[in-house]
Amino acid sequence: MVTLYPEKLINIITNDALEDKLVDSFRKYGVSGYTILRARGAGSSGRQADMTGFDANILVKVIMPEERMQDLLDSLERKIHKGYHLTVFITDIEVMTPGKFDKTLS
Amino acid sequence: MSSLSNLLLPAVLFFALGCIARLIKSDLRFPPDLAKVLSIYLLMAIGLHGGHELAKADLVIALNSIMWALILGFTLPIIGYLILLVTRKVNPMDAAAISAHYGSVSAGTFLTAIAYLDSAGVDYESYPLIMLAVMESPAIIVGLILAAKARQSLQTDKSGLSPDGTAAVNADDNTGGFGELMRDAFTNGSVVILIGSMIIGAISMPSGMEKLFPFIDDIFMGVLCLFLFEMGMVAARRLGDFRQVGWLLAAFGIVMPLIGGMTGALVGHYILDFSVGGATLVAVLGSSASYIAVPPAMRLAVPEANPSFYLTLSLGITFPFNVMIGIPLYHGVVQSIAV
Repeated sequence: MVTLYPEKLINIITNDALEDKLVDSFRKYGVSGYTILRARGAGSSGRQADMTGFDANILVKVIMPEERMQDLLDSLERKIHKGYHLTVFITDIEVMTPGKFDKTLS
Repeated sequence: MSSLSNLLLPAVLFFALGCIARLIKSDLRFPPDLAKVLSIYLLMAIGLHGGHELAKADLVIALNSIMWALILGFTLPIIGYLILLVTRKVNPMDAAAISAHYGSVSAGTFLTAIAYLDSAGVDYESYPLIMLAVMESPAIIVGLILAAKARQSLQTDKSGLSPDGTAAVNADDNTGGFGELMRDAFTNGSVVILIGSMIIGAISMPSGMEKLFPFIDDIFMGVLCLFLFEMGMVAARRLGDFRQVGWLLAAFGIVMPLIGGMTGALVGHYILDFSVGGATLVAVLGSSASYIAVPPAMRLAVPEANPSFYLTLSLGITFPFNVMIGIPLYHGVVQSIAV
């Protein structure tokens, strides 16, 4: 039987223009790693499609222990208050290698 | 050359085909990023070609063109901003973001104008090409300044705007530092490709350049057709958001290029003293609205503005208007003032 450990998965949907800003925040607030996927869909800021690559959306995934994620969430909230279109949702997940998420990005 | 014959250019016909493909809900899809690949090729080819020509150019005229490109780039967004405020259809933030698009330029429109002039057998100077490279950035700066002003006045109007009050002035998150945005504006990908290729074209050995001509000349029009084919689909999709924009704003998407086009025609003909072809290209620069460089810059710097306003106006209304009607119109205007 494999042992699983609880972690939090932070999901962020936003425009790819914001990618660099997000990555800067990840480094600043002690994220151990992140994964970015291209995304398309529709929402409060209209249809977002990746057909041309000129105005594409991204889906960003970050795994973090719950007790360390508050600073990052605060910074995301500040961005949203400034008017940036970020959809943020957090899910409970289980991982096999919790040690991976303790180290911060250098 | 009448506007009908502009519509019969293969590149423009492919643009129309792209629009139709979307409107009849065809399942036609280009591979992701193809438009980006094509625009890299187009900018590189036009840059190499222009650089090759510019190597023989007059430095004084070149510098004068650059100065007027800056003047146009700084002035047009301010005109657009004032017009938008008068319509009262958008808030000052949206007005700042939209007008930044209209001071900047669309390489796609410029290239279509080149195709139009080539097929009409009209000669043109290569200086407008430097102006194309120069005009990408100033409007972004003006947009940022207008947005900063609007933000200030909004904050004094209603200080409780953001839920936690201090959020908008909290600068910890590296969002929107002026210097950083300037760097983004001037190191923008299309500026780097265009200026870099112009320099390579200017300093390369002529024999080396000749080997490149099949790549940058012979297939150029075919690639432009493919690019406009896809842009037709993109424009038609944006046109679906027309309802959100409303007719008054949509009218701005046609009136503003006319103002920019006329200003450009006057500058190109009377001040820069270009030929009919060259002045037409300056008019096209004045009229076109950016859809590659400015949208991401505005997303970063003016997040409060609604992207579907500026993208619909620039891609869904102004781009098709210029490609199908604007270019022959500006050519006609320059012809009539040049007589």
